[in-house]
Amino acid sequence: MKVNKKIVGLVGVSLLSIMHFSSLHAEESIRVGMECNYYPFNYKDSSGELLGYDVDVAKGVTDLIGSDVEFVCQEWNGMVPALLANKFDLIVASMSITESRSKKIDFSVPYRVSVGRLIGPKSLDIKLFDENDKPIVENFKKVRIGVERASNYADYFKYVLPEADVVLYDGTETGYLDLVNGRVDMIITNPMKAHLKFLSKEDGAGFEFKSPAIDDVKFFGPGVGIGMRKGQPELKAKVDSAIKTLIKNGKLTEYALKTFPFPIHNEAWGE
Amino acid sequence: MEALSGWWDDYFWASIVVLKIFLTSLIFMVLFGLVGATAKLSNNVVANKLASIYTVVFRGTPEILVVLLLYFGSALALTTIAQVFDPSIRFIDIPPFWAGTFAISFIVGSYATETFRGAFLSVSQGNIEAARALGLTRFQTLLHVQIPEMWRVALPPFGNHMLSLVKDTSLISIIGLNETLYIAKQATSVTGKPFTMYIVVGAIYLGFSTVITLVVMLLEKYANQHLKVEK
Amino acid sequence: MTESISLISGSVFSMLSGIGVTFQLIFISAILGMILAVILLLMRISNKWYLNYLAQLYIYIFRGTPILVQLFIIYYGLPQFEFVRESFLWPVLRDGFGCAVVALFLNSAAYTTEILRGGVLSVDKGLVEAASALGLSKRQSFIHITAPIAIRLSLPAYSNEFISLLKSTALASTITVVDMTGIGRTIVSETFAPYEIYISLALIYIVLTFIIQKIFGSLESILSRYTKK
Repeated sequence: MKVNKKIVGLVGVSLLSIMHFSSLHAEESIRVGMECNYYPFNYKDSSGELLGYDVDVAKGVTDLIGSDVEFVCQEWNGMVPALLANKFDLIVASMSITESRSKKIDFSVPYRVSVGRLIGPKSLDIKLFDENDKPIVENFKKVRIGVERASNYADYFKYVLPEADVVLYDGTETGYLDLVNGRVDMIITNPMKAHLKFLSKEDGAGFEFKSPAIDDVKFFGPGVGIGMRKGQPELKAKVDSAIKTLIKNGKLTEYALKTFPFPIHNEAWGE
Repeated sequence: MEALSGWWDDYFWASIVVLKIFLTSLIFMVLFGLVGATAKLSNNVVANKLASIYTVVFRGTPEILVVLLLYFGSALALTTIAQVFDPSIRFIDIPPFWAGTFAISFIVGSYATETFRGAFLSVSQGNIEAARALGLTRFQTLLHVQIPEMWRVALPPFGNHMLSLVKDTSLISIIGLNETLYIAKQATSVTGKPFTMYIVVGAIYLGFSTVITLVVMLLEKYANQHLKVEK
Repeated sequence: MTESISLISGSVFSMLSGIGVTFQLIFISAILGMILAVILLLMRISNKWYLNYLAQLYIYIFRGTPILVQLFIIYYGLPQFEFVRESFLWPVLRDGFGCAVVALFLNSAAYTTEILRGGVLSVDKGLVEAASALGLSKRQSFIHITAPIAIRLSLPAYSNEFISLLKSTALASTITVVDMTGIGRTIVSETFAPYEIYISLALIYIVLTFIIQKIFGSLESILSRYTKK
């Protein structure tokens, strides 16, 4: 008798969950993970609204796919593990398409260029890159550089300049804070963000770019893409075609122009 | 100070989150503590061993690791278990609120286990025997005789456990729960005034601690009132 | 599975290389905390009401706020002020390690003071009276009679506080300190394998806790060797 009850129970639970999840399939909501604290690409303003280029792209893509979107905020260094643990379905968080990440997750086609630059105080006079834009290893040993953990910048330093004095932060904003109060001599960051939020403002008045744009394909990839778990070819195809549509119909440019005086993607990606 | 304007309501709602977590984890903490204490005191070897493992693991692991593990690892474990029953289940997710609540309940529960165990041992054997002699079952004895007596002894250290509970809430900000410390981080990136923002968080937690301490003092008075000796 | 095992063994080595930092954090904070705790204890049991209340206020603040918040206030908050950045404290506060030590020892002192006070209050009143009957001044009786006994009585509670200190060092990783947890979190961010790494890390801490408990247990036995019946 007990065995019967168990089987009935299991069957009941299975039926209920199948019904529940198949009904989910009908009006499927796609969960999108982002940091929510990475101005100007994804951030919350003081009224709590999520804004930014990544937010617009996520909304645009899910619209074209035909489903609702639900945003999940996630700390940056847990972004990929959280995706793999099924906390959300897509990562739209200015994540660069790098080799090491591509081993664990799939990326869509890129939707933004990815590049890094060092910023530091104007008073610091040091040549870190030579005329061919190659880093001068010796000089890197003399400065302390703030880098965000789990970022492609961290990978870059780990493999290209392992001897540099690197301090790892849990987020970008804290790196900026420490740059201002002198804990680190320089930080490596996204130049668009640096220009908008820092260099053109009061806090950043004494700072400037200290390096050319760094965009090694190995660490910066073809650009920034949408991340998803492996083994979902139909999802990837839908997302890819959505991004290409957004490029072709000019929406991506429209999103960029909200914050920047120029588009931040490569038109050729629309083909 | 003007930096704070516009953030007061965020801090307010975040404090409500802290309160919610505190109350929820309080219930689970007492539960885990009682279960653990009775397991350790029982004659059942398996229960005894399991309870010992529970206290060793959760008293020896840094709280932040427990929080991180439950957030990332639990989804994996639970999904695997669930898929045994129903392969079509996509996922079972544990939102930060529950991952954090269970994490701190487990942790403080392991300390509560020791506290309750010590308190149970202080209940006079005579009273227990009297209750059994009167015909009360083991469970009834537990409920009506042991727990009320044990409670009075356990109250002071239990107050400390409640304080730990409320302070450990700040750790859940690491996995993205929008309690006060998390709000402070976001506010700092907008206002650029970290000291102001974090001091507010400190004040909020100090407020919670004060209220808890006062409540415990009142409870102690209430629990000990029958011990007052007439002069 | 084999991939997991090689991942775990490789990362355990890396994380253990951070044990030096962890130990430095614990010992420096414990020693400084103990020094401050003794000072606060004397304030707390003194007759001067203002010293007593000052100590109580300190303890109230540091026990009433989470250690993570204290860490953030010291590391991120203090540099907001120019005078901090220009002061002699800056070389210490500039570094994540220095800030962690400051936060940890200030916090530990608050708890340790109460533990020591509990020990002092538990010393048999008879012994204190005997000392005074023998002509020892209050100061002498405190130093030679009360203190040694109080230390022995405080050991069990202090061992808990010491273990608490060990666990709090893991929080230093949130302010860029490269201790065992810091290394662990960096490895997780590169390999995306939180489960295996964090469990191994937890096991390392559990082993350390066990060792510390054993050491304190032996210390207790040694100090109570004359009180065995």
